[in-house]
Order: sequence, then structure tokens, then C-alpha cells
Amino acid sequence: MIRRTLISALLACLAATPAFAGSFSGTTAGSSAAGTSQSSGSSSGDDNKVVLQARDDAASFVASDGRIRGAQLEAALHYLRERNVKAQRASDMQLAQAILAL
Amino acid sequence: MNPGRRPRTTRLWPAFCLLACTGTAQAALQLAPIDASLTPAQADATRQILADAVRRLPAAWADALDERIDVEWRDDLPAQVHGRAEARQMLLRRPLLDGWMARPPGAGIDDPATRAALAAVIHELAHFYDRTPQGGLSRDPRLLDLAGWQVSPMKMGLRSSRNAFSDRSPDRYELASPVEFVAVNLEYFLLDPAYACRRPALYQYFAVRFGSAPTPSDCPPDYVYMQVSTDTGVPPVLQLDPERVYAVDYLFAEQNDRPLSRWGHSMLRLVICAPGRARGPDCRLDLPYHQVLSFRAFVDDVQISSWRGLTGSYPSRLYVLPLDQVIEEYTKVELRSLQSIPLDLDPAEVAGLMERAARLHWSYDGRYYFLSNNCAVETFKLLHDGVPRLAGKDLSSITPTGLLKHLRKAGVADASVLDDRDEALRLGYRFDALSARYQAMFDVARQELNLPQTRVQEWLDLPPGERAPWLERADLRASAALLLLEQAALRRQQLLSRDELKRRFFGHDADRRDDAADPIVALQDLLRLENYLSRPAALLSQTGYGLPQASERQTLAEESNVFAAQWREQSGWLRSEARTWLSPQRLSALDGTEANVDALGEQLRRLNHEQGGLELHNE
Repeated sequence: MIRRTLISALLACLAATPAFAGSFSGTTAGSSAAGTSQSSGSSSGDDNKVVLQARDDAASFVASDGRIRGAQLEAALHYLRERNVKAQRASDMQLAQAILAL
Repeated sequence: MNPGRRPRTTRLWPAFCLLACTGTAQAALQLAPIDASLTPAQADATRQILADAVRRLPAAWADALDERIDVEWRDDLPAQVHGRAEARQMLLRRPLLDGWMARPPGAGIDDPATRAALAAVIHELAHFYDRTPQGGLSRDPRLLDLAGWQVSPMKMGLRSSRNAFSDRSPDRYELASPVEFVAVNLEYFLLDPAYACRRPALYQYFAVRFGSAPTPSDCPPDYVYMQVSTDTGVPPVLQLDPERVYAVDYLFAEQNDRPLSRWGHSMLRLVICAPGRARGPDCRLDLPYHQVLSFRAFVDDVQISSWRGLTGSYPSRLYVLPLDQVIEEYTKVELRSLQSIPLDLDPAEVAGLMERAARLHWSYDGRYYFLSNNCAVETFKLLHDGVPRLAGKDLSSITPTGLLKHLRKAGVADASVLDDRDEALRLGYRFDALSARYQAMFDVARQELNLPQTRVQEWLDLPPGERAPWLERADLRASAALLLLEQAALRRQQLLSRDELKRRFFGHDADRRDDAADPIVALQDLLRLENYLSRPAALLSQTGYGLPQASERQTLAEESNVFAAQWREQSGWLRSEARTWLSPQRLSALDGTEANVDALGEQLRRLNHEQGGLELHNE
């Protein structure tokens, strides 16, 4: 029993087959927030990767009323405020909602 | 063993000092040809060869050889043997002399015969030097680290007897033993100006040991790694410049309740600054530029076999992956949290670590053993070999948690960044598994919509069509919560689809009819491509050694583009075809969930617009 536990434990860092990671597990059009956004046909020039990657964090932020604030959202907020005057004036919540609306 | 050594009594040719006092007065290296049958021209050529070789030696090397070494040309050395270093005698293959004498006038080091003769002499002189008290390179732990006779945590710190750095070797004879490794590498150190760029850490090591080194070529400032993106706009050759790396973190994927993840996964995160940003703490949020070094077994099959894993029949590969992809894989698909704990390394140590990672990436062909050479062991060895200071610390461990514990104890990892959980989340020292948020998300939606379910799992277990009518009624906040849950449902459906396909085509009762052939062949093709792309030396089979230089980078860009395009096409085809192989029931669940995700996306856009929210895409 101990042995079995040990073996299964050490399988830990064995990644799933990369082929599966890339193909079957992504059986569908979009497994990520980015993919989802693209599949709903709303991409635009401002769709930077850092912003698209922040969609899940933005959803958590909006839903939790600002309590859950993940790094991907934080990165997107920085990114937007470094480049966008309107973003500099907007609140975190407004920006998170805007990211969700992309 | 010394086949056919000429008895000393027959030495008629007067031995003469060829060299070359190297500064110290009392004793100096003397190389003395002892062959009576040499013609004057041959003797002359011999003197030239020896003098040319000795002239190239660093002073410390020549000084250490304060003795007379007899030199003899031989016809009876075994094939492939260019020379031998006996106790006080150097035997050399006679055709090297003939080649030297037949070379065109003015031939330089690029001439093959010139190079072969000099390399043979330097190789043997390296053996002589290595045997001196000042030498001893092949017994130096640091040399053994760099060379690839790595320490092994399972052997109480003893070293592995096999050197697995076999790809892109200049001469595979170097792998025979540390002694030969030193001799072969010193040939290249002295004769190849590109050695400094192809094996930077070894060049540095020799330069420091000798206190001098041949002038190196101009090396590119960055290292290249293979990284294939699904995005056609991203070239598969990734260039990373150590100057752009602000920090290195130990990236630890926590265990979840699945048996395969019990001890977590060890990785290293390179905190790379966005172009134009000065190295500093702000780089921590340049997430799209961060990269992750992750050792994984390359599983060339659809089923992971414990037996094969225990017996080392999977190759261990170092993958360089975008951090975003790693966050997605662990926190969203596998639902495991990540901890990113800064390591206390100075910029030179970071550069050393990246050089080591590049060497591993291009040359390492190790085997993955679940117990003795897993991700924790590989990561430990990368830190141990890449950062000499860490080799002196007791870090050795066979588990990811053990390695983290040792790093903390040694004061190398500073886990205090995790103390304030909210700050850790905000600044990316921690990435929570999305599942940790599901119940909270569900509670938001339940309150707003008066959903009849109380547990999030009950909600996710509903068919997508039964969730759909509720979604339409949600306000912005509840829509955001429900979006996260629909995406969770979608990922769940994707995993179920994958399992279904696995069972159908590869399980015990697999579908063996002809129509099953397509996916199997397609998947095998894909695995073949991935094998190529994860062992990048295979893309540059015939050129150069060590880290790829300018012309090889060009070849690499072209070759890898072809493979990457094939891989994208193949995986794209599989992705789209896979849907047609699913059961109608599975497909309908998948389609329904996707429709829900899309509808929520649309709804969030509409609600944001209606309430006069900021619209980024109109900028």
C-alpha cells in the first residue's frame, strides 16, 4: 500500500501527454477565456494577450465585488493604465467589467 | 597496456627541447621526439606541430608540466585513436604527421589536417595536465557538474555514472569518462573561437582555472529555446536574454485530491521584463513575458505506464513554457494552485541558470524515473549545476515539497511573500486553483437568482440546457459569476470528451475497426512531431555542437517552422475531427455548454454597454 502511494505520488510531476494537452483536451473550440472571447466574435485591436488572459480573474473580481483580485487582472489593469487615458480615470471595477465585455 | 612501445634503448634521435619556456626559469615543459627514423623534414614538421600546440597553452597549464615528455609517431594505434598519453610519453598517430606535411602552404587552424594534428597534441597534453596536482580538472566537482556527471539524490550525493548530455556533442568520445571530457573540451577551448559561445559555462570555468583564455568570438547575448505556440504568428524559436530576467521563482504546483498529483510539481519561473521596462519589481506583473522551466517525461503514448515510468523508459525533457499556459493548465484545467516563491539569486547567478537551462534544452537526453529522476530531482540538479553557490547547500530531495523545504531552510527561497494571502494573489506569488472560487461564485448567483441548488456541484451537474434559462436572468455581477462556472463546466466536458475518446480508441475494449485507424494514426503523427519539437537537437542533426549559433539559428527557424506548421495543422485537424468521434450525448453536452459560455459573453457585453461602462475595444 505504501509502495502504491509512493508510486502514484511520484507520478505527480509526470505531465499528461502533451499531445492530449494540445489536442483532445482542447476538443472544443476554446478552452480558455481567450478562446471563448474569440469564438464569440468580439475581438478588436485592443485585445492584447494580457487583457484576454485576465478574463477569469476579471469575472472573479466582478462577481466577488472586488474581493478576489488575481495577478492576471492586476497585470491587465497595469497594462491598460500604462497605455490608455480612459483607463487611468476608470476604477478597478469599471476596468474589470470592461475586460469582461471584450 | 602499452602495445608496441619502442624500447628506450633504440632511441637514437637526440632528444631536443622544443619548447618553450613559459616564463618560469627552473623547469619547463619539454616535448622531445624520439623517433630515429624521422627524415629531417618530418622532424622539422614535428617540431612545428609541437611548438604550435604548446604556444597555445595557457601559462598555468604549461607551467604545471615541468617535465620532459617523449613524443613518438606510431602506426599501431587502434583505429580512431589519435594519440595516447602514457606515463611520460606521448604517442601520436603517424598519419597526422603526414597530413600536416601535405597541407597547403599557409594553412591555418581551419585546415582539417592542421587542426587534427594540433587537437591530438593538445588532447594528450590535457591528459598530462589533468594528472598534475595543479590540474585535476576531471576530479573537480564543479567540472563534473558542468560536464554532466550529475549528483544523484538517491545515491547519497554520489554521481551518476552516465553522462546524458549526449545531444549536440562535438565529439561523443567526451562522454566516455570525465578524463576524456576534459581532454576533448580543452581541444575545443584552445582551438575553436566559438567554444565560448557554444559552451559558455565551460569556457568560463576553464578561463578561471587557467587565469587566461583564448579570445572568444562575439557571442549572442541571448539563449534560444524551442517553444511551439498554437498561434501561427509566434515563431517556434524563443530568444531569452538573461539581462531581461528580473528574478527566478520556484514555481510549485500544489497537490490536489487526485492521486497523480500528491506531491506536487516543481518548476522554475523566469520573471522576464516587458520590452522597454527596466529590470525591477514592476516586471513581476509583465505576466505574458514570463516563462517557466518545467521538466516533464515525454510520454510517447496515450497511456502513462507506471512500469515504464519506474524503469526509466520515458525521456526527461526540459520544456520552456509561457507562464500563462502553465497558469491555465494547473489552476484552470487540473485545478491545482501554484505558489511562486522568489529565489535569492544575483544577476550573474540568474544568467548561469539560464545558460544551464539552455545546455539542458539542447544537449540533455536523460531518462525520467518516477523515483530517482523526477521533476524535483531534475529541478534540484538544474539549480545545483547552474548556480555553483547552491551546490554547497543541502538541497537534495526527491520530492517537490522536499526541495521547497530545503530551499527555504537554506535561505534561498523566501516564502514570506505568501504570508498575506490577498497580496500574494494580487502580485502573482500565488495563483489559486479556480475551483477554490466555485462555491463563492455559485453563492453570488444563487442569491441573485434564487437558484434551487445549494451546492455548486449540483449546479454543474445539471445539463447545460437546464442552466441556460437561469443565465438569461442574471445581472452583471451574477453573469460574471456564472461565466466562471460555465467555463468550469466546459473544461469538465472537455476532460470527459477526452476520456471518452481515450476509452474508445485506446482502452481495453477499444474500437479496433478500420474507422478507428484515422485518429490513432493522426495521434501517432502528432506524438512524433512533439517528440521532435521537445528534443530540439533533432532539428539540427548535422551542424555544430552546444548552443546554436547564428547560422544554426537560421536553419532552426526554417526547420522548426515547418514542423510547427505540421503540428498546428495536425492538432487542429484532431481537434475538429475529435468532435465527430464523440457520442451524440457527449457532443450535445459540449455544444450546450459552449452555447452557454457564448451567451454569457454576449450578455456581459450588453449589460456593460447598457450601464454605460467603459468599452475597451472602441479605443
